[in-house]
Amino acid sequence: MHALAKRFATGVLVLAVVPGLLAACGSSSKKSSGTATRTGPGSSKPAVTLGTKNFTEEFVLGQLYAQALQARGYKVDLKNNIGSTEITDKALTSGQIEAYPEYTGTILSELAHQNTRPPTAAETFQAAKTFEKTRGFTLTQMTPFIDTDAMATKPPFATQHGLRTVADLKKLQGAILGAPATFQTRAQGVPGLKRVYGITSSNLTFKPLAIGLQYQALDGGQVQVADVFTTDGQLSRGGYTVLKDPKNLFGFQNVAMVVSAKVLQHEGPAFTETIDAVSRRLNNQAMQRMNAAVDLDKQAPAAVAQQFLKANHLI
Amino acid sequence: MTLAAAAPGGTVIPNFGHADSCVRHNRFFCWHWFTSHWNDTFAPALVQHIVLTVIAVGIGFVISLALALAAYRLHWLERPIGWAAGWLYVIPSLALFQILVPITGLTTTTAEIALVSYTLLALFRNVLVGLREVPGEVREAAAAMGMGRLQTLLRVELPLAVPTIVAGLRIATVTVVSLATVAAFVIDKGLGPLILRAIEEGQFKTEFVAAGGLAVALALSADALLVGAGWLLTPWARARARASR
Amino acid sequence: MNDFTRALDFIGSHQHLLWQKTAEHMQLSAAAVGIAALLALPLGLWLGHLRRWSFLVINVANVGRALPSLALISIGLGVLGIGFWNVTVALVVLAAPIMLTNAYVAIDQVDPEVVDAATGMGMTGWQLFRRVEMPLGIPLLFAGIRTGTLFVIATATLAAVAGGGGLGDIIVNQGSYRFEGVLGAAMWVGALALLADLLLAGLQRQLTPAGLRAARPGAPSARGPVSDLRARAAGLASSRPN
Repeated sequence: MHALAKRFATGVLVLAVVPGLLAACGSSSKKSSGTATRTGPGSSKPAVTLGTKNFTEEFVLGQLYAQALQARGYKVDLKNNIGSTEITDKALTSGQIEAYPEYTGTILSELAHQNTRPPTAAETFQAAKTFEKTRGFTLTQMTPFIDTDAMATKPPFATQHGLRTVADLKKLQGAILGAPATFQTRAQGVPGLKRVYGITSSNLTFKPLAIGLQYQALDGGQVQVADVFTTDGQLSRGGYTVLKDPKNLFGFQNVAMVVSAKVLQHEGPAFTETIDAVSRRLNNQAMQRMNAAVDLDKQAPAAVAQQFLKANHLI
Repeated sequence: MTLAAAAPGGTVIPNFGHADSCVRHNRFFCWHWFTSHWNDTFAPALVQHIVLTVIAVGIGFVISLALALAAYRLHWLERPIGWAAGWLYVIPSLALFQILVPITGLTTTTAEIALVSYTLLALFRNVLVGLREVPGEVREAAAAMGMGRLQTLLRVELPLAVPTIVAGLRIATVTVVSLATVAAFVIDKGLGPLILRAIEEGQFKTEFVAAGGLAVALALSADALLVGAGWLLTPWARARARASR
Repeated sequence: MNDFTRALDFIGSHQHLLWQKTAEHMQLSAAAVGIAALLALPLGLWLGHLRRWSFLVINVANVGRALPSLALISIGLGVLGIGFWNVTVALVVLAAPIMLTNAYVAIDQVDPEVVDAATGMGMTGWQLFRRVEMPLGIPLLFAGIRTGTLFVIATATLAAVAGGGGLGDIIVNQGSYRFEGVLGAAMWVGALALLADLLLAGLQRQLTPAGLRAARPGAPSARGPVSDLRARAAGLASSRPN
């Protein structure tokens, strides 16, 4: 019977040790890649938790800022892929994360619940900053690039119907518009198209499409018009006509880092400078190309971000 | 790598290169992409998945063992425990994860609580059945040898129940490995997020085929490991098999 | 607790949406269960009757259980594209092994003495099957159908990821419905699953011949209490949650 107890113990040990070893190996390798202890203004500062939302551009932005900060000695704990705006903002206000890159227009519409769209990017930014201040957060300098909704079609279709701006969509009869389900009810979606440009369901019928499937649907002819984002990687490869939005239905969506004001104080001015230095370099073309590298060429966001930062002497 | 022309404002956009034709045409499985991304994408996810599974099955086993021992002594407990475990089992995993979020947040704890719930039915049922299957004569012999209840349990009943218990562990483990992929909806750990992201980003087949394939391989290996462990723990069954040849 | 009250509010104010999604959900589930049953049950019953290929059948169940549903749905998406029938195929592939194994075990576990007695009485294979094995196998067979149905209902929530519609549509689209919608739909589908389980359990009781119904835990039965539990544990062995 003692032999049995020994066998039992051996069995349990085997079952516990093997996965345990694997887990230990895994976690140690993770640690070694996370913190690159370099000297710089950040070496003496407390660690910062940076979060990102759940899509490619946010992953790239998270890597850009995290790597740039780490190169200057800051300790950054990157919590990737937290979720939608609602979830990530909750993580921020509940203290689970201390900063994340957010879109100025989204702050106004989804977080501040303001439906008025300021006429310029700068005003959108100011309004967002004022709102965040009331909650104890602040915004860093906004990026040059704007990632907002846009209407896209295939070039032959655009030429055929003379489509250059969103207003031209009124010329269509019975064309199909593909967009995520939210677009049908959003203020800037179908109701907005009607309100601002007078486009009705006789011009465009709505077809719900999951995000990521719009380009496929356009190529395959399942939809004639699709809701895309102005920094989508696919746009950098050509083959799509993006319609202009002269009446500014879709608003301005520059990116700025939402940071807790206290954290900003603790981390010092060099922290903000580092983030701003990265933000300044991010124009539309750069974001499109980086998104393309991740989405179309399936490269890892960390690698793409590193290449960009190196080329611009930010790390 | 040549640098692209500097855009206004001094931004330099490096040449990120292009994916090979396998990836560009999104073929079913691009081996080269898989191997070159093993270290940064797949290996960490696999380890996280293993950790999630081991914790869930471990905790589930401890709880089920306690409940089964209780039901073994007090027969009337079997029905309510069985029902409760059964109800948890029936709730769609995606729903259970989301229902737990307001209570325990978007944390690993939420995922673990849900995963543990799915192990309870199999483990509770199998430990109980295993104990009950011990032949009456063996129990009588133990009593005749002067063993108390606890001793009989530890030295006779539990060891004899091992094959059935291991069968339950196998079911529980394979179930958890599969369901841990659904945990991707609440936490960014394990193989699930790879599958979800691959679907969202233009259905990159290689990524979700690889992630799904790894999950299947993990489940089958865990199953085999448990079969081996069960074999190690039952030397008398081996002896009997040898003798009967 | 705030979240739960908001979710209940959502349920209250979105009845039309929820019922519409429930209809989609049941449509998808019914199609998948129907097709899986049509394919797997006759085969399982026949193999059980022959008492052949048991190794293969048990391992089909093992591999079937190891397939992560999410992975299979996404592979189906990649191979077949979006749409109702494409998702149905993925659900059938996931549910068929359960039904196959349960049908097999249902017939296979009929007491060999009873089978011997019947053949001794001169029954042909078909008579044996129709008059002895099937009636005795119905409880486990229906348990398998019940397990398969519950599994499909549960997995259909994931099908939304591939455009399958149903209640999962709300749960995976937090951007559109916000968390109260997600939580509300999650509670709704959980309740739906429990209700389905209750209905099917009741149906199972109706279909079980009275003599076999006497098998309760702790109560003596024709084959002894342990073998009932073992049969139920075996039934569990070929089931899976999702």
